[in-house]
Amino acid sequence: MNSLDPRVERLPKVGEEGKINPKAPLDQFGTYEVFVEPKPGKPFQHEGAVHAPNLEMAYVLAKETFTRRFTCSSLYVCDTRDVFVSPMTEGEQSAYDLIDGTSIGEGKSEFEIYHLVKRGKQHIHAGSVNASDAKGAMLQAKATLNNGKLVYNIWTIQKDKIRFTSEEEKEYWITLPEKKFRDASDYKGGDKLKKFLEQKA
Amino acid sequence: MYGGGNTFEGIKTDSIASEDPILLAAFEARIERGEKIEPTDWMPQLYRKQLIRMIEQHAHSEIIGALPEGTWITRAPGFKRKMSLMAKVQDEVGHAQLLYSAAETLGKPREKMIEDLINGKSKYSNIFNYPTFTWADCCFISWLVDAGAIVNQLANAKGSYGPYCRALDRICAEESFHLKYGHHCVIYLASGTAVQKQMFQEALNRWWPPMMHFFGPADKISAHTEVLMRWKVKMGTNDEMRNQFLDMYVPKIWELGFTIPDPNLKKDTETGKWNYTEPDWEEFKRVINGDGPCNKERLEVRRIAEERGKWVRDALKTSRQAYVSPLA
Repeated sequence: MNSLDPRVERLPKVGEEGKINPKAPLDQFGTYEVFVEPKPGKPFQHEGAVHAPNLEMAYVLAKETFTRRFTCSSLYVCDTRDVFVSPMTEGEQSAYDLIDGTSIGEGKSEFEIYHLVKRGKQHIHAGSVNASDAKGAMLQAKATLNNGKLVYNIWTIQKDKIRFTSEEEKEYWITLPEKKFRDASDYKGGDKLKKFLEQKA
Repeated sequence: MYGGGNTFEGIKTDSIASEDPILLAAFEARIERGEKIEPTDWMPQLYRKQLIRMIEQHAHSEIIGALPEGTWITRAPGFKRKMSLMAKVQDEVGHAQLLYSAAETLGKPREKMIEDLINGKSKYSNIFNYPTFTWADCCFISWLVDAGAIVNQLANAKGSYGPYCRALDRICAEESFHLKYGHHCVIYLASGTAVQKQMFQEALNRWWPPMMHFFGPADKISAHTEVLMRWKVKMGTNDEMRNQFLDMYVPKIWELGFTIPDPNLKKDTETGKWNYTEPDWEEFKRVINGDGPCNKERLEVRRIAEERGKWVRDALKTSRQAYVSPLA
């Protein structure tokens, strides 16, 4: 290569130029869903997904991807396969209307429940229930968290499948408001521009 | 059901004639009402294909776009500019991550997208196939290329596909820092020494033609525009986006005392549209087909990164993990 960038010039020659071996269709890292608590006391909300080799790495990548800015007081991640998903509804139909069966009462496992209350927006944490399995958690949520408001989609996640933020780790975000160089408000060129325009005139 | 299906198959049709008319009517009515389409909703194959093409291309543009700016981190003038540029480049790569995720919800795995980028099957924004000779070139990208991207992204954030719109909302919020930072850099060059002013003027001369290409060919020759707009995948024509960019940024460039290298550039006060010299679309096609000044370098840098990281990825893989599509 004939690059302007000396680091590119120094790159080792590996493989064959312009070619990459195709991978098996699903031969790649796993998928993890990311949930962020923007401020203490505010509900967690779904932010997106990352790919990682395990929960621990998923947590680190989630922190880098979703909490570089704004405020964050906590985040957690879980394997996408551990999110139990209800059917999606529209119009005046609530997803809870499609959850059939009778709750058999509380079980030993705790589940986090997420609601989608407006199509196009993010899933928001609605509360926790105890149940014996994910389907039972949906029924428990229907009995305890269904307040009659429209819910278009419900997710349940077993709590012991989640990688939470520990108390010490909450320090990660203490300096976030100080990182002004990532904020548009730190780039005030107005005075310099005004002086320049006055001189030009 | 538990999350994470894998639905990607090669989509063979470009037609909507074979779609179920009842489902298609309901789909179009939902878009007409201004509701978002979510990954588990029914959608025409063509909608899925167009969205994958568009979001994937956008993701590639973010990851490749980080290269011409990234090369200037070590040479940025001063500690603060280095910090800012590093944060900006990190953002661009983060944006690629968000966009790849959005495209994955439509069923195309991430690694397949990376493979298609490196093999040249998928495209990315043409403008990143040009070199950044000086610091002023880097400032041009930070201010004006990002400004062009924001014009497109703000419009597309009002589109119909939920995961793409959510990614764009986050991206636009972060881009406001890029825009202000880029403008700040250019104000400093404009109000600096004669050499600094000349350096930015030369960068502007180099980058103006690719900047005019940035919004794509005039709509009369854009095959994808009509259907993308009906389904609110694309929210404005290429010409409308270009005109909006000119409206917002030409006065700011002139205000700083620079000359735009197009003698025909002038706003028609009656129509509100800008007249300009038609960009060289033959050059655009040539560069998009691989014959630009930096196409080869950009893809080689990605390919070598992929090859060199392979042993790490292989070492970390375990049988317990499995790739599935993201949920939303």
